[in-house]
Amino acid sequence: MLKNNPASPRRTIFLVGLFVMAIVASGCGVRFDMQDQPRYKAYKKSDFFADGRASRDMVEGTVARGLLKEDKAFYTGKIDNPDPNAQAQSSTDASGNTVVTSFPNAIDEFPIPVTKELIDRGEERYKINCIVCHGPVGAGDGMIVRRGFVRPPSYHDDRLRNAPVGHFFDVISNGWGRMTGQKAMIPVADRWAIVAYIRTLQASQNPEQIMRMNSGAQPAATVTPAPAASPAGRPNGGAN
Amino acid sequence: MAQFFPKSANNVAKITMILGVVLAVTAFYAYTQLARSSYLTGRYVEKQQPVQFSHKHHTGDDGIDCRYCHTTVETTASAGMPSTETCMTCHSQIWSDSPYLEPVRASYRDNTPIEWERVHDLPEYTYFNHSIHIAKGIGCSTCHGEIDNMPSVYQENTLQMEWCLSCHREPEKFIRPKSEIYNMRWKDSDLSTEARVQLKQEYKIRSRDMLTSCSVCHR
Repeated sequence: MLKNNPASPRRTIFLVGLFVMAIVASGCGVRFDMQDQPRYKAYKKSDFFADGRASRDMVEGTVARGLLKEDKAFYTGKIDNPDPNAQAQSSTDASGNTVVTSFPNAIDEFPIPVTKELIDRGEERYKINCIVCHGPVGAGDGMIVRRGFVRPPSYHDDRLRNAPVGHFFDVISNGWGRMTGQKAMIPVADRWAIVAYIRTLQASQNPEQIMRMNSGAQPAATVTPAPAASPAGRPNGGAN
Repeated sequence: MAQFFPKSANNVAKITMILGVVLAVTAFYAYTQLARSSYLTGRYVEKQQPVQFSHKHHTGDDGIDCRYCHTTVETTASAGMPSTETCMTCHSQIWSDSPYLEPVRASYRDNTPIEWERVHDLPEYTYFNHSIHIAKGIGCSTCHGEIDNMPSVYQENTLQMEWCLSCHREPEKFIRPKSEIYNMRWKDSDLSTEARVQLKQEYKIRSRDMLTSCSVCHR
């Protein structure tokens, strides 16, 4: 009898058994098909899109239902038919910076009712998004400024006390000077809440304004100078 | 007929049985420990990130709120990762020529995303939503630990199902007032047991049966 006969039943059984075991074993290995499913969760990498981002930008011009943004005052802080040729007045301050002193096209009234809830919300959001540079009372002495960022103007000078609310909204949305626009980070309603809180801060640093508000009288012509709520003597600017 | 087994075989048989049980128990215990080890759960393992970003510096030293960068943590399932623009709000001006930040500037320049390594990688057969935990009084540090003390962020907990359930069974042990959600120093002992039970009712947290239902997390 030949040994190792390929057709021997024992060898066939062995091979078939090996095959079955291989199939079983292949299913027993460490697999992560359920762990990492073929679907996209937030920020997952995509092999399909050229830039590798699974989280896609919206197609330009997309309007979500209910978000046509017809309320121009609410969404832009500008008056209904802004004059594109309106020129802002500006002056030059002591350190040679150009300072804009008029804010054409900006709305002067809040487009939403100002309630305590709105101001509280604004305080919370201010402390998240603004306090890092503008400081606890808006004097422009936030921690990032102490770390070397260009010092933002204080809210408590006549120029910004008299600036219309639409201007603050526009600056939060689109930036101003070294400040970048925050519209991707702060929703519209929260931006208005922050503006309301900025107005509150301004009043808090200006007792005359509070007295006027309490008495319901017309604004007086004179405004008290901004109190130095920050360490005085810090130069406008700083290391880059 | 001669005895096949010597008399000592009795002892061998007994020892073998006892050893078998001991070995089986040891093996099971070793398995349970291995399954919870940082080797398999990734707990305490710091990951190499494309940018040497320090949460300790940004939140601990500079006091930036969590939500400055993780903007959607209160409203959506994902806490949100900051866009490169968010980094550049400050770093266009400060540390703007640091070589450490070149990947950030490159991302801004070329409009390509920074590819961060995900630190907390839940299996995709689980559903997790940050916003509901925030809304019901579960603070950041309850799950993430003291992030403001982590120069390099690591996973503070195992993220295993038993860990999720330990809170879903008894949320009153971990709940805190909503005003303290972002407080990294909050200790569960800062509030009495009764006060926490009351918070649970106030925040309308559902019953243990509801919270441990399969479809709460597996949907």
